[in-house]
Amino acid sequence: MAGKRKLSERPGGGSSDVQWCFSQVKGAMDDDVAEADIISTVEFNHTGELLATGDKGGRVVIFQQEPESKNQPQCRGEYNVYSTFQSHEPEFDYLKSLEIEEKINKIRWLPQKNAAQFLLSTNDKTIKLWKISERDKRPEGYNLKEEDGRYRDPNSVTTLRVPVLRPMDLMVEASPRRVFANAHTYHINSISVNSDHETYLSADDLRINLWHLEITDRSFNIVDIKPANMEELTEVITAAEFHPDQCNTFVYSSSKGTIRLCDMRASALCDQHAKMFEEPEDPNNRSFFSEIISSISDVKFSHSGRYMMTRDYLSVKIWDLNMETRPVETYQVHEYLRSKLCSLYENDCIFDKFECCWNGNDSVVMTGSYNNFFRMFDRDYRQDVTFEASRENSKPRSVLKPRKISTGGKRKKDEISVDSLDFNKKILHTAWHPLDNIIAVATTNNLYIFQDKLN
Amino acid sequence: MDRTFLTLRISVVPNSRGGTKRSRGHDGFVRHMKSVKGTSMLGRGVKRKWSSLEGSEAEQLPDAAATEDKRLDAALEDSEEEDRGDRRSRTDAGHLQQRQLVLSLCLKKLQHYQAGVELSLRRSVLLINTLRQIQEEMQSDGTDVQLGGVSRDARLLRDDFREDESVTCPGCTEGDAESPSPPPSPEPTNTTPTDLHKPLPNVVGHTFSDAGSAMGYLSDLALDDIFEDIDTSMYESSELPSAWAAGSLWPVSVSFWPNDDDVKLCSSAGSLQSCLLDLNELDHIMEILVKS
Repeated sequence: MAGKRKLSERPGGGSSDVQWCFSQVKGAMDDDVAEADIISTVEFNHTGELLATGDKGGRVVIFQQEPESKNQPQCRGEYNVYSTFQSHEPEFDYLKSLEIEEKINKIRWLPQKNAAQFLLSTNDKTIKLWKISERDKRPEGYNLKEEDGRYRDPNSVTTLRVPVLRPMDLMVEASPRRVFANAHTYHINSISVNSDHETYLSADDLRINLWHLEITDRSFNIVDIKPANMEELTEVITAAEFHPDQCNTFVYSSSKGTIRLCDMRASALCDQHAKMFEEPEDPNNRSFFSEIISSISDVKFSHSGRYMMTRDYLSVKIWDLNMETRPVETYQVHEYLRSKLCSLYENDCIFDKFECCWNGNDSVVMTGSYNNFFRMFDRDYRQDVTFEASRENSKPRSVLKPRKISTGGKRKKDEISVDSLDFNKKILHTAWHPLDNIIAVATTNNLYIFQDKLN
Repeated sequence: MDRTFLTLRISVVPNSRGGTKRSRGHDGFVRHMKSVKGTSMLGRGVKRKWSSLEGSEAEQLPDAAATEDKRLDAALEDSEEEDRGDRRSRTDAGHLQQRQLVLSLCLKKLQHYQAGVELSLRRSVLLINTLRQIQEEMQSDGTDVQLGGVSRDARLLRDDFREDESVTCPGCTEGDAESPSPPPSPEPTNTTPTDLHKPLPNVVGHTFSDAGSAMGYLSDLALDDIFEDIDTSMYESSELPSAWAAGSLWPVSVSFWPNDDDVKLCSSAGSLQSCLLDLNELDHIMEILVKS
């Protein structure tokens, strides 16, 4: 099958000897961005063959990697549109006079069990299970229907025949199989499929619910941090994820920079955490914005299940699940912004929620930044690199040049000064192919696909 | 495997949303979406908003404030430079300046929101916590600040805060023993903390009649803190209706925090027009309150 070379077959796999090249860019070319086209989530499926994006207009677009051509065996297949559908529509909550946005907050793929593909997509309030299936045959020769679907007059039927399946042009259909609604008062920020492949969790600001994929009319509430008196609320849930192997374990992060690991075997309501991960604050860095920048915007388990990664405003931290007191690794994403926090607070950028992701063998982590920059941190070689996703660097197979930001007074050639960074160009969503060095990076309304150079 | 493009009966228009036939129906009804393999990425779609009118009105607000903030911003960057050198000194002028700026930004952000769109709970909680932190710091500095301010902000978080507010209108509290501060004179941008020495006015709320004549109002918090540096004419009860009408400053529907339980409907509609019509009613109710 296409593009499934294991990372272990490549030398390195980390950024030390990997050269990243532009592969493709999807989306409108002009600078005038339609709000509906703003990409809000990006996710590879478990084989990496499919890449799904969700946008603010409630649409899901799935790209499929073309099989490797026999003529060019060293060249990976391109990603082309496979299916497009409207997942969520805007709704109006009449009771509260509030609009419910159709923006897709998260997409999560289910592991494939049969010919069809399944994914969960969610907006602020409702989760939907979509089935994406291919149809390349159709029945012909009905007795009671004409070929165009019109019903025949039964009196005109004089013979009977058995309809036959004939090949037809491939059609990809997406149909909603389940709708999981009315379980969240607050805005859903995460969904996560359990390793049992039967259940999944959905988390909003104050609660986490456990669902069974087959049952839509009820869910179990497993975490509830809503205080009796809302005036006492000081902390919200920002992200949640199931452990990749242990179906009883999940974590959730908070706006105060803590991560709680819960074991569902302990009790039905997991308000008591089994472990709490928190790094003590550095007193030298204390400011009015300390809490805001400590708010965790994303949490992701490593594929191995031994580590988890959290993203806060300025850094990425790797935690060993066996050590709660502090992270084992901390990577600064854009420390040069620390002195600009007040301006970023003023223009609301300080509330931006960046995601992060692991590569297939957990040796490299990646996250986005401003000015359409994204960063990779190689854990083994202790190297980091900054790249830019822009149309200027978008010649086919052109190698990405590392970018440098000048923090001191003197700006070297090719460096970019902090003051000339464009804070409207933010990369919040990135995804890494589970088995290969292919990454998908979303700018505001474009999806960039980069891959490592092969030869 | 040869995959040819599929021609649909409905032509795929690149710029339409999704560009494919959609059958409408209830969720239980299976909707089949068919797509053409190999078409380019979706064309542009136009986001439909229920409250597009209010949206555009609300968006005009930040521009006015932006220019003022730019001036402060320049001052702020300087103060941050000083601040780093002497971080622990609370009396450092730069630190105080920054604190004042952050405080005012915090309040501005808490007030300003788009009618008809639900607030982000995370953002609001972070803002309120920042506000608390600043007020605690000011209190420990010896700045005489009534902490009532924060609890009023926190009241934003309550699901039912609209329901059990006991209310007085701004002009009616003179007879009250703990009368609010005299209407502050209009002040230019004030970077010293002294203006916070004035006791913050008491809770000033609004009447919430029953669901029959329901309407939504901005919370008392916003009023108090806005009033500190704007025109006193805002306080005059007789001019309240015009003050309300003056603006898109006053969002119409107040639904900060969603509630599990059924909530009394406090905002009848998301439109400014219907609120303006209700203002006469408000006026009438205020008069009754004042006289009783």
